[in-house]
Amino acid sequence: MISDDLDLITDTVEEQAPVEACTKCTACNTVCPVARSTEIFRGPKYLGPESERYRDQHEATVTAGLDLCSGCKLCEVTCPSQVSIQEYIRRAQNKGAREKGRTLRDWMLGHTRLLSAFGSMTAPLANFGNRNPVVRLAMEKLVGIHRKRPLPRYQWLTFERWFKRRRQQAATLTLPRKERTVAYFYGCWVNYNERRLGEMVVHILERNGVNVIVPKQQCCGIPAVVNSNIDLARTYGVENVRRLSTLPAGVDIIASSTSCGLMLKHDYSHLLDIPGAEPVGSRTYDICEYLWMLHEAGDLDLTFEPLDTRVLYHAPCHLKSHGMGYPATRLLRLIPGVHLEEVDEGCCGISGTFGVKVEKYDLSMKIGSRLFEAVKAAGSDSVLADCETCRMQVEHGAGARSSHPVEILARAYGYR
Amino acid sequence: MRFDIAVVGSGLAALVATRSLQKAGRQPVLIWPGLSSLYFVYATIDVLGYRDATATEPVDNPRAAIGELIAAHPDHVYARAGLEALTAGTALALDWLREAGFSWRGGLDRNVVLPTATGTPKPSCLIPDSMAGGDLGRDDPVIFCGFEGYEDFVPELAASNLSRTWGHAPGSVRGLRIRPPRFAPGRLFTSIDLARSFEDVAFRREVADRVRTSIATNGDRVRIGVPAVLGLTHVADTHARFEEEVGHPVFEIPTLPPSVLALRLFDRLRKHLQETGIELIWAAPAHAAEVSDGRCHRIQLKSPGREQAVEARAYVLALEDTADGAMRAGVHTIQDPFFHRVLARSDVPTERTLESLFKPQPFAQVGYRITDRLQPADDDGRPLADNVFVAGGAIAGYDPSGTKSRGGMAIATGYRAAQEAMAA
Amino acid sequence: MPDFTTGVVVIGGGSTGAGALRDLAMRGIDAMLIEKGDLASGTTGRSHGLLHSGGRYCVNDLAAAIECVEEGRILRRIARTAIEDTGGYFLSVTEEDEAWEPRFVEGCAKAGITCERISLDEARRREPALSKQVRTAFWLPEDGHLDPFYLVMGNVESARRRGAQVRTYTEVTGFTREGDRVTGVITRDAVTGEQTSIGCQAVINATGAWSGFVAKLLDVEVKVVPVKGVMVVLSHRLAHAAINRCHKPGDGDIVVPGLSVAILGTTARRVPHPEVLPIEWDEVRLMLEEGAMMLDGVTAARAMRAYAGVRPLYDLGAEAEGREMSRNFAVIDHEERDGVAGFTSIVGGKVTTYRLMAERVTHVVARKLGVTTPCSTADVPLNDRDDELDQLRHRPAQMGAPKPHLGEDYLKPLVCECELVRPEDADPWLEDPAVRGLEDMRRRTRAGMGPCQAAVCSYRLAGRLVTARHQDGAMATRAMADFLETRWRGVRHVFWGSQLRQAQVTTGLHLELFNLDRQLMLENRPPPVGEDHGVGLAEAAQATRPR
Repeated sequence: MISDDLDLITDTVEEQAPVEACTKCTACNTVCPVARSTEIFRGPKYLGPESERYRDQHEATVTAGLDLCSGCKLCEVTCPSQVSIQEYIRRAQNKGAREKGRTLRDWMLGHTRLLSAFGSMTAPLANFGNRNPVVRLAMEKLVGIHRKRPLPRYQWLTFERWFKRRRQQAATLTLPRKERTVAYFYGCWVNYNERRLGEMVVHILERNGVNVIVPKQQCCGIPAVVNSNIDLARTYGVENVRRLSTLPAGVDIIASSTSCGLMLKHDYSHLLDIPGAEPVGSRTYDICEYLWMLHEAGDLDLTFEPLDTRVLYHAPCHLKSHGMGYPATRLLRLIPGVHLEEVDEGCCGISGTFGVKVEKYDLSMKIGSRLFEAVKAAGSDSVLADCETCRMQVEHGAGARSSHPVEILARAYGYR
Repeated sequence: MRFDIAVVGSGLAALVATRSLQKAGRQPVLIWPGLSSLYFVYATIDVLGYRDATATEPVDNPRAAIGELIAAHPDHVYARAGLEALTAGTALALDWLREAGFSWRGGLDRNVVLPTATGTPKPSCLIPDSMAGGDLGRDDPVIFCGFEGYEDFVPELAASNLSRTWGHAPGSVRGLRIRPPRFAPGRLFTSIDLARSFEDVAFRREVADRVRTSIATNGDRVRIGVPAVLGLTHVADTHARFEEEVGHPVFEIPTLPPSVLALRLFDRLRKHLQETGIELIWAAPAHAAEVSDGRCHRIQLKSPGREQAVEARAYVLALEDTADGAMRAGVHTIQDPFFHRVLARSDVPTERTLESLFKPQPFAQVGYRITDRLQPADDDGRPLADNVFVAGGAIAGYDPSGTKSRGGMAIATGYRAAQEAMAA
Repeated sequence: MPDFTTGVVVIGGGSTGAGALRDLAMRGIDAMLIEKGDLASGTTGRSHGLLHSGGRYCVNDLAAAIECVEEGRILRRIARTAIEDTGGYFLSVTEEDEAWEPRFVEGCAKAGITCERISLDEARRREPALSKQVRTAFWLPEDGHLDPFYLVMGNVESARRRGAQVRTYTEVTGFTREGDRVTGVITRDAVTGEQTSIGCQAVINATGAWSGFVAKLLDVEVKVVPVKGVMVVLSHRLAHAAINRCHKPGDGDIVVPGLSVAILGTTARRVPHPEVLPIEWDEVRLMLEEGAMMLDGVTAARAMRAYAGVRPLYDLGAEAEGREMSRNFAVIDHEERDGVAGFTSIVGGKVTTYRLMAERVTHVVARKLGVTTPCSTADVPLNDRDDELDQLRHRPAQMGAPKPHLGEDYLKPLVCECELVRPEDADPWLEDPAVRGLEDMRRRTRAGMGPCQAAVCSYRLAGRLVTARHQDGAMATRAMADFLETRWRGVRHVFWGSQLRQAQVTTGLHLELFNLDRQLMLENRPPPVGEDHGVGLAEAAQATRPR
């Protein structure tokens, strides 16, 4: 009776990879951007599968050095046994924080949405403060945010309000009936810092006959995950899953941040173990992934204005985790006159809020140094990346201008 | 997602197949299920080190020996791929390495015998320049130089072993250790930490000084074998400068993982493909082929959120073996992930092994039966799909560990599979 | 003329022999332990490590159960660091099991075993992995895990500190006699073949399943029935507490979480010789099937290896076979029984009662030597001088034990990453002459006992044999190969899933990165195959002797 059963259940790679699938091949340590940049990090193999054998739910012991893991997930992308290394690291870190308490800084960085909402309400003041050396020195001393790290600009008009306003204006117009409808998960970044990106996403989708709706939403939770607050992330996630689950059948969910998208697609159902997350994840698409799908269905508007531009493309680490290739590069190659070059120099180093912290800033810049050099050497002042913090880091480290790939697409569609 | 040709895998076979397609003007996509576990083995490209798993004499001329092997064993993986594929694939690989900025040497007509980290002579065919100084065909004395506190390369062990099996004159092999600057004793550091530090000029010079002082040779000819940690990326530069500073030839020896040699090679080749316009799909274990009318129409990738279908005109399955999930080994059956065929059945798990670890293992032989065009075949030898081709470890009877031929077999099958995929 | 003399020679380096050595030393008797392999390499080191509360024996073998209760309590005092106080569950999963329950409860009461029936909800809360088939759960707080290696090493080190001596890889090949009196033993070094004559006043035969062979050298009969037990090691603990089936003791009804692993046990098959311990597939399968009846995840977990041990059941002349036989023990005074003075055997028993067995036999021998000092092994802890036992105490996997690498000095290097073995845990043993090979290092440090089964640490340890022990490369390489081969012999029996993939990494490293198969051929010796009682080591030593 058991022989057949055994055949199925011992197939460790096929099924969800448990921690014990690790064969000590050490490939994860060789690709880990942190381990490549500092000798004070033991690497994902040790912090993940090796330590996991010794973690006991009844014990308080938590592996030291977990905070040096930036959360880029390259170890998982690399693991031939598909061990979810990151999940073990994050859970252990959360457990430690739950027992020992979190620093004010980590608490704040976990509550990005709260912070951003405040920043947005007080936009001129917040932006002034974030650029004022005295304020920054105080922030470094009191909170632990490195003073050299440029902080994002807040905008007073949030994407949410912009969209609502536009909807009201549009109500008077007669919109063409559209076959496809998507729900846009814009994320905190678009809402509080880069509304324009959201505007472009909406424009491109509508131009291609896709009706866009914007459901009420909460932070995706990734800032909380990487700041040892899985519990908070789960609270956010549960709220998002609840709201997104009520979308009518056939409405896909679009994210324009690779990290938000990955949370929805994968981490809600795996790391956070949120009931009902799987159907939400299975209809979530990255914006470029979705547009490419339209293209393959023959529904993408290819009447691009030629652009004579040379751009570099940096693939964010979390994009690699999506398992969908690089749809942005495929899309951009459809546009006449766009010369796209890929700079694959690995992680940019910022990893969300990792490179913001006073004790991680230098490390973060060191991790990104290869990318910065490559960008400078390529002699282009335009770097595309699908992730907002990558863009911040590239602008800071390489002195280049960085934007989301849809910006090129929007330009080719004549969006100004 | 639709592509021209899809290559599944992350090892040398997959890389060579992708490069061959690219060079032929095709637009392949490389689907990466996770890094090959054999990442640490590919420090060199071994084509045929020994005639069989029990021979003790290394093969001198791999091309000639493979010719004989093919004549004697028409079912051998090399026979299936063909000598032409090996020759053309090797030329392509060497060109590619050069173009990607590496300095490698070697050719199919000669093996070079190099010492391993246990001090064992091992025949290899294509090697990075930084290892070439270890050629045991030359009789210059060898000094193995390790680092205090770094146990993944033990110079004393290597020296003791090599001196018994190779030494030309008494004292012609010895081992020494130097204390590396910066790394405090009793503190962990890995080959990656050392390699990163070697890119720093001050560190490198300091090490060179310490090596030079320690060997005190009175002008004798010696060469220094060091663990392969001379730079994470800029190896040619680091190696040459270090040699100059030490004042003697220096050669690298692969270490226990993490393997810096493998990191350099695979990182660079992968990046080079991407820089030249090849798309890579990361984190996507491929697991099902949809076949009808004798053709594979799509394969499914296990991506976050949902499965992604990849449609291509042809597919090259270039997975290594069980280690990177090419095969699923249950208690009694070993199955393939694409066609879900039982490739091997055993009543008792021990049947998959021999009593000694150091003998050719039955489990290593498990894989797809193939047609003459490297298509996976059913039990009657008919292709499972006309447009699918297998390269590398997933082929049945592919056990390079005893004959030291992993790299050559990967190149030959990878190249050949790419040719067939273009014709399909 | 003997080469040298001692007071008492103890033959056998398992828990009983080590316990007797310590007992003798604590009574002030000069003693030497002779072991033909390594310490804890026979029955003790191949046990499943269950510290019996007595629950397992309380129905069929009340006397043994009562001994377990008492000894368990003593061990908790004297061998604290060898014990994980996991507690244990006795689980009913079938109707027959439920029928057994009243007898079990009654037996526990009779033996004085603390036993509490707890609700299934509570049991599942404490042990989420309990299978759905579980019907009843009893909590026995005195079950636990006893680290057999630590136990033997701890006893031996304690005895050594009191002047006792130890010789491993030394086989007793004969005795010297004067009339009816044994005056000493003749030994042969397993590696060098050197013969030594050791004079003594008395000999204790504590060789367990091998007792009959030793006694035969004196033409006396000791009937011990070797009964094999097969165990499977899983790569993590699965449960917090020891798990027993609540039924008449049978095959595969124990799961012991110990240190970093869980051990499934065991079978009972009579074997012709204590060293003929074939592992059959049906036994391995049975362990997994039966284990899965009690715990979820048993079949999905990574099985790392299987191994077999041998029970030294003493034939009391009854009709009983295997498990039916008593787990009780007996001291045989051969002077009284066979007219051979100066020779005493201790037979039967089990690891949990090793101390009592040692006490009883030592008592008999001490009395004959005219020593009246009472036994104090029940009162003085093994690690009564902590500093010298620090090296033994490093068991990071142990619950509640300090985990040095998880604390502030987590950047310390490790020799074995799976089992968190630091260089300083390994190095002191390199100076111990009792340690001959890397398997011996494993028994003392746990290096090589994790998922990769020595794929990585074998090289680092071989390196240390050269650098710290000044062995030549051939011997160190041989030791490395032997270590891998011994691990491999256990891995082969669970060769699927992760362990199969692991093998590809292992062969990749050793055959392709190191070319170790050729190194062994160059040494002109085929890799040894056989039981791991130092056989390979002997060959290694011979191979490297001056040519």
